[in-house]
Amino acid sequence: MTFAHHGYIGFACSYVPLAVIDAAGYVPWRVLPMSECPDQAGQLLHDNLCPHVKRIIDRVLADDLPQLEGMVFINSCDAMRRMADAWQQIRPSDKTIMLDLPSTQEPASLAYFAQEVRRLAQTLADWGDRPLSVNAIRESTRRYNALGRLLMQANERLRDGTLEGGSARMQALYNQASTEPVEASIDRMQAILASPATTRQADPGVPVFLFGNVLPDPEVFTLFEDCGAFIAGDDFCTGSRLFTENAREVADDPWQFLAEELLLHPPCARTFDPARPGQIARDVLQKAQACRAQGVIGYTLKFCDPYLARLPLVRAAMKAANLPVLLLEGDCTLRSIGQQRTRIEAFIEMLRESK
Amino acid sequence: MMRQYFEDLIAGIELKLNTDPESHSPRKLYALEIARLGQRLYSDNERVAWCGVAAPFDLLSAMGVTSCFVEFIGAMLAGTGTADTFLEAAEQEGFAGDTCGYHRSVIGAAKNGMMPIPDFLIATSCPCSGGLAVMENLAHYFEKDLFVLDVPQQATKESVRYLADQIKAMVAFVANHTGEQLNEDRLQEAIAHTNQARLHMIEAYRLAQQVPSPANGRDLVNFGIAMALLLGTQAAVDVSRAYREEFAARCRAEISGVPGEQLRLMWIQNRIQFKNDVVKLLETQFKAAIVVDELNSIPWEAIDPRDPYTGMALRTISIPLNGSVQRRVEHLQSLAKAYRVDGAINPCHWGCRQGTGARGMIAEGLKAIGVPVLNLEVDCVDSRNFGEGQVKTRLEAFSEMLAGRL
Repeated sequence: MTFAHHGYIGFACSYVPLAVIDAAGYVPWRVLPMSECPDQAGQLLHDNLCPHVKRIIDRVLADDLPQLEGMVFINSCDAMRRMADAWQQIRPSDKTIMLDLPSTQEPASLAYFAQEVRRLAQTLADWGDRPLSVNAIRESTRRYNALGRLLMQANERLRDGTLEGGSARMQALYNQASTEPVEASIDRMQAILASPATTRQADPGVPVFLFGNVLPDPEVFTLFEDCGAFIAGDDFCTGSRLFTENAREVADDPWQFLAEELLLHPPCARTFDPARPGQIARDVLQKAQACRAQGVIGYTLKFCDPYLARLPLVRAAMKAANLPVLLLEGDCTLRSIGQQRTRIEAFIEMLRESK
Repeated sequence: MMRQYFEDLIAGIELKLNTDPESHSPRKLYALEIARLGQRLYSDNERVAWCGVAAPFDLLSAMGVTSCFVEFIGAMLAGTGTADTFLEAAEQEGFAGDTCGYHRSVIGAAKNGMMPIPDFLIATSCPCSGGLAVMENLAHYFEKDLFVLDVPQQATKESVRYLADQIKAMVAFVANHTGEQLNEDRLQEAIAHTNQARLHMIEAYRLAQQVPSPANGRDLVNFGIAMALLLGTQAAVDVSRAYREEFAARCRAEISGVPGEQLRLMWIQNRIQFKNDVVKLLETQFKAAIVVDELNSIPWEAIDPRDPYTGMALRTISIPLNGSVQRRVEHLQSLAKAYRVDGAINPCHWGCRQGTGARGMIAEGLKAIGVPVLNLEVDCVDSRNFGEGQVKTRLEAFSEMLAGRL
């Protein structure tokens, strides 16, 4: 089935309000850092910049993108800002917008971000020369919440060990949901959930909690499972952080509603509460314990300052809770994490023996 | 150790100034005031706030708070040759070696008791994600309250108001911690000092644009960024006026900062903070003067005393390291033209995604106006990987190329 729309709007960060793009008649299309195109981003960006961003710029330089009607950037970190700069230099005629994303979740930050969400809506309406009604926002938000709910149900099957295809399939579903019309994803997810669940394996593996930033390649999840891990829970911006379920209805002020939905959702390391410094470590611990993980694996991109600066706190919190932790760095490629296969296997083996 | 260092530094400079009036120079006065700030930070009897780079230091000063951005400590440690110990300490704690050396050294210093325990912390989301993260880490480590100033990328009516409101909220936060409300007279006095210093600095920079420049490669090292720490005080007025008068006198006497100046260079972002011979090499071997540093400029308007928070918000948003690279490149281009530079050097501070991340675009932007850029690979704080010979070779080749273009 095809769904009518007015083209794709690119994005690359989980803080983008997808419902606004959908309401404006466009399909949000996540530019994933997955491509066979050559490494060329170094022409514009320093080698020690986030590989997620560099891979996306590689795609831009290689014209490895669908027809985009515009691109939404988010001021989420230094690397994202540089990505916007490089993108605009390579494709100066693209329609682009940069949203200011506050670093904290305080009331003033939420109010300011609500203004930014509203600015996005107005910009999209201008780009398409179509009005964007509050009702349309409300409907789109409902659709994305429905999708979030369906993905969460699939996730529950996954955690129960009964989702066919395991975590690799779950990641593929996230990737599809971030690059196709929301209705298409809803249909697919309903069909999947209507089919019978598979039988749980007798020994699905050692339960671990996986967290980090960008991990879109489904094969990476297969690799973890091949090493003997059962991913009992995860937290990535290319996965569960992008599609959250919100049972609330859109309030009278949809901008404030969306700002709260995004800024208050499980945060990336770049967002924090000044009143609770180091909260990310407690969050990781709480999630790991909630899914009864025997160990924690952190996977972060090289040169990601928001995460690199907080990992020592995470490590200390896990140590204090007597929960083993393995920290991995990569560059968005299966190759980079494949090189760490031995470490992952040893970690899982250690967890298995200490059970 | 740091307290003793600053006390010795003050004593040494004061002795020199008292016994040798001929040695008076704006650089000495500047070093003296920075040392006095350092002494106050480590004195144990001042209210201290560790801050992000873009904090409104004049406002904090008006509230009786001795404040400083944490990167200052990284630079100080590097300048005294002691940073390596603290870099290693941070790395042993798990802080990655490919993050910013300023921030790593600060974390190491804090964990080794080398940073005074602050009364509170004021973080700024500008200029960089790493800076914000280190402030969260320090707040966690010191178990002190943290206030975050979220700096928008552009100056719009809404964004300026957002930041101005945050600065107002910061005043309430500070008052809650000090127990003293902001005194309006002290605020007005601080703004007057800031605006006076601003005018002196603008004039000093204008004089430095002359050909040949009265400034040499050491006169204004770290000046623009460190002067922000003195804003709001009489010291800022005195130091900036001293530079203005000294440069004016040199211009009148036709004294060139680098005798026989042949090449004029711009330094992008921060200087190399540990001891090195880069400036000496450039000046002695190639008669090359670093006439301008990227951060030695005043892109902001005078603070309106009737609406200080808006003025401070605009000032913060205006700093060259905030916003898009296009804006930064335009700033660099305008400096390059005003100072008539022959080339630019970008140390590409290792670990700085904010500043160095866009080096290719910066080089392209300057090349577009005929200014070649030398991109080095230096961690400006961490001397352990400094390839002095390699850097010298590249500087020589670059300088020879520039000389060939004259």
